[in-house]
Amino acid sequence: MPSPKRIGKIEFGLLSPKEIRQMSVRKIIWADTYDDDGFPYPQGLMDLHLGVIDPGLRCKTCSQKSGECPGHFGHIELAKPVIHVGYTRLIRKLLRVTCRECGRLLLSDEEIEKIIGPEEEMGTDSVSEKDVKKERICPHCGEQQLKINFEKPTTFAEITTDDRGKKVENKLTPADIRARLEKIPDDDLQKLGIVGEVARPEWTIMTVLPVPPVTMRPSIILENGQRSEDDLTHKLVDIIRINQRFKENQDAGAPQLIIEDLWELLQYHVTTYIDNEVAGCPPARHRSGRPLKTLSQRLKGKDGRFRGSLSGKRVNFSSRTVISPNPNLSVNEVGIPQKIANEMTIPVQVTTFNIEELRRIVRVGPERPDLKSPCGANYVIRPDKRRIRLVKGTGTEDGNLDFVADQIEVGWIVERHLRDGDIVLFNRQPSLHRMSIMAHWVRLMDGKTFRLNPAVCPPYNADFDGDEMNLHIPQTEEARVEAAMLAAVQENILSPRFGGPIIGGIHDHISGIFLLTHRLRWFTKEETIDLLKNNHVDRLGEPGKVENGIPYWSNKQIFSKILPDDLNMVFRASSCINCDECKRVNCERDAYVQIIDGELISGVIDKKAVGAFDGAILHRIIRQYQYTRAAQFIDDMTRLSIRGIMHDGFTFAIDDEDLSKSDYGQIKEVLHRAAQDVERRIQIFEDGQLEPMPGRTPEETLEMQIMQVLGKARDNTGEIAGRHLGLSNSAVVMAVSGARGSMLNLTQMAGCVGQQAVRGERIMRGYEDRTLPHFKKDDRGAMAHGFVMNSYKSGLDPTEFFFHAIGGREGLVDTAVRTSQSGYLQRRMINALQDLKVAYDMTVRTTGGRIIQFEYGEDSTDPMKSSFGEPVDVEGIVSNILKEEI
Amino acid sequence: MIDLSILSQAYFSREHVARHQLDSYNHFLINNLQKVVDEQRVIETDIESRGKGNEPVSVELGDLKILKPLVREADGSQSELYPGEARLRNITYAAPIQLGLTLVQGGVRHEPVIATIGQLPIMVGSVACNLYGMTDEERTTHGEDPLDPGGYFIVNGTERVLMTLEDLASNKIMTEYTERYSERIYVAKVFSQFRGYRALVVVERNRKNLLEVTFPSVAGHLRFVDMMRALGMTSDADVVRAVSTDEEILTFMMQNLEESECETVECGVMYVGKKLAPNQTRDYQRKRAEFVLDNYLLPHLNYLMPRIVNEEDEECMKIVHSVRLAKAHFLGRMAEACFDLVLDRRRIDDKDHYANKRLKLAGDLMEDLFRISLNRLTRDIKYQLERASMRHRDLSIATAVRADVLTERLLHPLATGNWVGGRTGVSQLLDRVDHMSVLSHLRRVISPLSRSQPHFEARDLHPTQWGRICPSETPEGPNCGLVKNFAQMVEISKGVHSDDEVVRMLYGMGVERIGVEI
Repeated sequence: MPSPKRIGKIEFGLLSPKEIRQMSVRKIIWADTYDDDGFPYPQGLMDLHLGVIDPGLRCKTCSQKSGECPGHFGHIELAKPVIHVGYTRLIRKLLRVTCRECGRLLLSDEEIEKIIGPEEEMGTDSVSEKDVKKERICPHCGEQQLKINFEKPTTFAEITTDDRGKKVENKLTPADIRARLEKIPDDDLQKLGIVGEVARPEWTIMTVLPVPPVTMRPSIILENGQRSEDDLTHKLVDIIRINQRFKENQDAGAPQLIIEDLWELLQYHVTTYIDNEVAGCPPARHRSGRPLKTLSQRLKGKDGRFRGSLSGKRVNFSSRTVISPNPNLSVNEVGIPQKIANEMTIPVQVTTFNIEELRRIVRVGPERPDLKSPCGANYVIRPDKRRIRLVKGTGTEDGNLDFVADQIEVGWIVERHLRDGDIVLFNRQPSLHRMSIMAHWVRLMDGKTFRLNPAVCPPYNADFDGDEMNLHIPQTEEARVEAAMLAAVQENILSPRFGGPIIGGIHDHISGIFLLTHRLRWFTKEETIDLLKNNHVDRLGEPGKVENGIPYWSNKQIFSKILPDDLNMVFRASSCINCDECKRVNCERDAYVQIIDGELISGVIDKKAVGAFDGAILHRIIRQYQYTRAAQFIDDMTRLSIRGIMHDGFTFAIDDEDLSKSDYGQIKEVLHRAAQDVERRIQIFEDGQLEPMPGRTPEETLEMQIMQVLGKARDNTGEIAGRHLGLSNSAVVMAVSGARGSMLNLTQMAGCVGQQAVRGERIMRGYEDRTLPHFKKDDRGAMAHGFVMNSYKSGLDPTEFFFHAIGGREGLVDTAVRTSQSGYLQRRMINALQDLKVAYDMTVRTTGGRIIQFEYGEDSTDPMKSSFGEPVDVEGIVSNILKEEI
Repeated sequence: MIDLSILSQAYFSREHVARHQLDSYNHFLINNLQKVVDEQRVIETDIESRGKGNEPVSVELGDLKILKPLVREADGSQSELYPGEARLRNITYAAPIQLGLTLVQGGVRHEPVIATIGQLPIMVGSVACNLYGMTDEERTTHGEDPLDPGGYFIVNGTERVLMTLEDLASNKIMTEYTERYSERIYVAKVFSQFRGYRALVVVERNRKNLLEVTFPSVAGHLRFVDMMRALGMTSDADVVRAVSTDEEILTFMMQNLEESECETVECGVMYVGKKLAPNQTRDYQRKRAEFVLDNYLLPHLNYLMPRIVNEEDEECMKIVHSVRLAKAHFLGRMAEACFDLVLDRRRIDDKDHYANKRLKLAGDLMEDLFRISLNRLTRDIKYQLERASMRHRDLSIATAVRADVLTERLLHPLATGNWVGGRTGVSQLLDRVDHMSVLSHLRRVISPLSRSQPHFEARDLHPTQWGRICPSETPEGPNCGLVKNFAQMVEISKGVHSDDEVVRMLYGMGVERIGVEI
C-alpha cells in the first residue's frame, strides 16, 4: 500500500487546451471501437493507450493488466471551438461586462474602487453583472457596447440596430466569443473574482475535448456475445463522426450555411455529452428511446456519484434480518442467529500467544456445528496478502483444514467467525440520531432473527411487527475499542437531546414494577425468591415481618434489592395528581417516592422512576455510579418487573370496560345536558343575542362554545367511568403507571368517544347545508356535526361510525404526509450542520473556520451531561446528602 | 324489524362483487363499440389526388360484431377458449372483432366484406365470455371456480383488472377563487368533454370587473364581450341578457361593454383570429378563428355540429351558427356564475363533493382505447390502400386490413397499464393473495391526484361518500385517501343515452327556449 501523503494545496481552475493535450496519451480520430476480431482500433475510442477493460490485454501506456491500470485520458481535436454548457452563465456575464473591442472591464478605475474598495485592500468582493449598465460606452477605448442576448442552451447574439432603426440579431459563433474572451486582461478578471492563471475565460470554449479513459466507460458483453457500449462511448462516437464530417466539409470549402449547420450539430453533441438535461435542448436518446446518461447525469441526484456512491455506499461485513424481543438478554447484548455468525468474520493476527487457539479454530472450518461449539473460520490470510479459503472435507473431496492449521505461523491472519462476547454495531433505519447505531455484545442464539432487549426499542424506535435491523462487524482493534467506549448501549442511555435517559422500562416493565411496588404487600420466602430468581441476589436480608413464625418480605424490600446501597432520592411518581398540599408518605396513591440508603421507604415505582424518557432513578444512578451500573439496573429492573407482572397476571378484556347501571344513567344524563346546552347556545345565536368573542365572528364564537361544552361533557363521562374503574382494572393500571394509554383512551372506551374533528373544527363539509342526509338542513346540533355520544364499548351508530372514520382518516393522512416531510427536513438539517465542531477556543466553527457560535449552545453545556438542560443538578446532589425532599 | 341482512347478502353475492365492471363492459360491447365505429363511419383516401386518372376511393365502416373468445393453434385450427385454459397456457382471452367494410371506388359500391379487424380482450364473465350464462357445474367442468367474481381480463396468462378512475365531472360549471399576485380572482371553470377530447374553458373576473375567457389553443386571455360577438351576438342587449338581467350584474356588464372593441360578428372573429395567428393574412386569420371556435371552445356543445362544414351549404351554416350561439349562451352562464360568486350569492364549488365526481369504469376506458386504436387501424387501411393503388394493384379490403395493428394497440395498454392519454397504472395485476384481496381489488377506485403532494382536502373522507365509498378501506402511506374502495351496496348509474328524451322531458317540465333554435 502506498504511504499516505499530505496534500499541499488544491487548485480549482479550468483545463486549458494545452493541459488537455498534455495529459492526453493519444489523439482519437476514429469513431469505431472494435474491429471484426474484437480488437480495439488504434486511435479509436477504445484505443489500448486509454487503458484496458478486457482481461488478458495490457495497457499500452502503463503496461498494466485490466483492473490495475487506472486508465488514461485521450483527446479529440475539434474542428471549430464549441461552448461548454456548464459555463454559459459565466460567458454571458463576461460578454456583458467587458468591452467588445478592447476586452477591458466596462468600468473606470474610480467606479471599480467604489464597488470593491481600493486596490491595496481588495477583499473577496467582486464586480457583478448589475454593476455595469447595459449598452454603455467603453471608458477605455470609447467603443459603443451592444446588448448581448443569450438563448438557452448555448446561443449568444448581439443586438444591433440597422439603418432603418430595426433591431437585428447578430449571432456570435463560439470562435467570436473565444476571441473576445481572450482579450480580457488578467487584472480585470481578478476584479471579477477569476484568477486568470488557472482559469482563463477562453478555456470555457473548448477547442480540444478530453476523451475519458475506457475504464470509466466500460463496454459490457451481453449473453449473446454482443458488445454493448456505454452511453458516454455512444456520445463520443457521435461527436467524432460530426467532427470528422465538419473537418472534411471545411477542407472542401463547403458553403457557410452548411458549415454553420454542422457547427451547431457539433455544439449539440458536445452539449448533450456534458449534460443531457439542459433546458431548451432535446435530450439525446438511445436507439430504444431512453435518454442517454451522460457526464452530468452520472454525478447528479440521489443515485448520482455524490449521493449514491460517495456519501452512501454498500459495505461488507454487514447483515440484516428481522428483529424479535428477548427480555433475558442484557440491554447491551444482541442475539445473533448461527447462520449469520458463520458468515461474518473478524480478522485475528496470529501471535505466539494465540497460535494454538487459532489452530483449533481453523480446524473447525467454515461451518461451526452448533451454538455451543467453539467458533470456526472462513479464510486465513498469509503475510503476502494471499487469502486461503478454508474448505471442509467431504466424503469424496479432501478439505484443507488440518493442512492450513499446521501451516499457520505468527504474522498470519485468521478470519474467525463471530462468537459470544464480540462487539458489533447494530442499526435501525431511519438513522435519525446517534442512538440509531449502538454497539452490542454478541450472543449466539437459535432461530433466524436478531434478538434484542425490548428496553432498547425506544432509541432505535423499533417494534417487532416485522422490523428489520442491520449489523456491522468492526474489523480493526481501534474500531472495536471505539465501539465499546463510545457507542456501547450503556454509553448512550442518556440522550444528547435532553440529558435524560432514553433507554428504560417500557410497557409491561412499567405495569409490572407498578403492580409489584404499589402500596405495601408481603411475600413469603418462596414468593420472594420466585420474584427475584432472574436477578443476581445473594442474600434476601432480614424479613420485614414475621407472622406466626413465617417470615415475610415486603414488595418495597424486594425492589430495594436491585438498588445501589447508598442511593438517596425523593420524588413524585407519575401517578401523582399534584394535590394542593402533599400528604407525602401518607399519600393514598402512594405517589410519594422516598429512597433512603438504597431502601425504598414509600412510593410506587412507575414511568417517572424507571421509564424510558423519564427514569429518575436511572438518571440518578448514571450520575452517581456511571453507565455500567445503570445498564445493570435496567437489566435487573426489567427482569424483576417481568417476574412481578407474571406473579399477578395481567389481562384486559371487553368486560373491563363495563360500568354499573347508575354510571350509565349518569353518563346519559351528562350527555343529555350537554346536548341541551348546545341547543340553548344555538338558540341564542339564532336570535342574534350571542356576544361574539373579541376578534371573532358570532359563528366562530358559537363553534368554540359548542366544542368547549362537548369537550367538557366527554371529560365528565370519563370521570364517571374513572370513578367506577379502580386500580383493579388493567387499563387504569396502565394509564396511571404511564405504561401505555391514557385516561382519555379509557374514557372513549367506557364513557363517550366525543367530538370528531377535522383540522381542529367540527365536521362541516358534506351535502348542501348539512353533513349527511340523515340530518335536517342547517342543523348546527352536536350530532349533526360529528359528536359521538356512544362509547367504543356500547358501539357507534352508523352516522357516528362515519364521522369517526372521517376523524380517523385525518390522522392517517397526517402521519403519511408528515413522515415524508420530516425526512427531507432532517436531510437538510444534517447537510447544514454536519461539519460543525467545537474548536479549542470553545467556539463552534465550520471547517472553513467561520464562527457559528461563540460558545457552544451559548452556555458550553453538553446536554447529555446536563440534568434535563441544567448544567449542575443542585437539587439532586443536595437531596442525596440531606436524604429528604428539597 | 325486517331482517336487512338478506338485502346485505344479496349485495355481497358472487354476482354483485364485480357487477359494476361487468355492466360497464357489457354496455361497451353492446352499445358503445358500434357507436365508436359510427363516429368514424368512412375512411377517405387521397388516391384521387395522388395519381393520374384515379377515381376517389373510400371505405365505409358498417356493422361490428364480437365473436366468442377463440384460440388459434399453430396448425391453424380454432377452438373455443375458456379463461382457465388462457391462464394456464399464458395466452390472451380475446375474441375476434368482425367489421363490415364496403369499398367505394368512384361511383361504384362493392359488395360489403366482413373482415376480422383484430382481437378484443374479453372480460371474464361478460356477455361475450364463454362462461356467460353457465351453471356452477358447467363452470367447474371448464376449470373455473364457481365463486370467482370475474370482471377482469386475461392478457398473456396474467389477470389484469382495469381500475375505476375518479375524475372531476365534465361539462359542469365550477366556481373557485385563485390567487394571482396576492389578488383574489373569481373563476368559473368547465371541463368540456366531447368524444374523448377534453378542454378546459375558464371565465374569470379580474380586479377591474372585466371578464376574460381562456380556452385551449389560444394563449392568454380574451375579452368576454368580444368573444360573444365572435360567436354571433351582435347587440349589447343580447350579450347582457345571456348573462343576467340582475341590477348589480348589469352594472358590471356595462363596464365590460365599454371595454369592448368590436361591434360586429366579423370584428369579433377577427379579434380572436389576431390572437391566434398574428401577422397572417386576414383570410387565414378568419378561417383559423372559426375553426378554433368550433373545435376547441366548449366542444361538448358540438353534438349537433355537422361532420363536414361546407360554407356553401346554407342549411349546414345555419346549424353551425346556432351551435355558436349556444356556446355564447353557455359562456353567459359561466359569466353569471362568476359574478354570483363575486356578489356572494354563490359559494365556491366543493370539488370533493361526490356529486362533482364521475367514475370512469372498465367500459369507458376500453372505449377510449378502442377509439384511438380504431383510428390507427383506419389510418393503416388508408395507407395500405394508397400503397396498393400506387403499385397499380387491385384494391382489396381483405389485404388492406391488418388485424395485428388493432390487436397490438388494444393489448399493449392492457398488459402494461400505460393507457392512451399517458395515464399509468390503469390496468393492474389482479391481487390473488387471498379471496378478500381479489374482491377489494375489483372494487378499487383511483384518484388521478398526485400522491407526492399533500392534497389534504382530497384525501379526507367526505360525507357525500356515504354509501358509495367505504369509509374504512384505504391504504396507509402516500396513497392514503386517494385510493378508495366501493362501499358494499354501491350502485353505479350511467348517463342517459338518448338526448332527445332528456330535451323533451325538460321542455315538458316547463323549461323555456333561449330564443335560438338548437
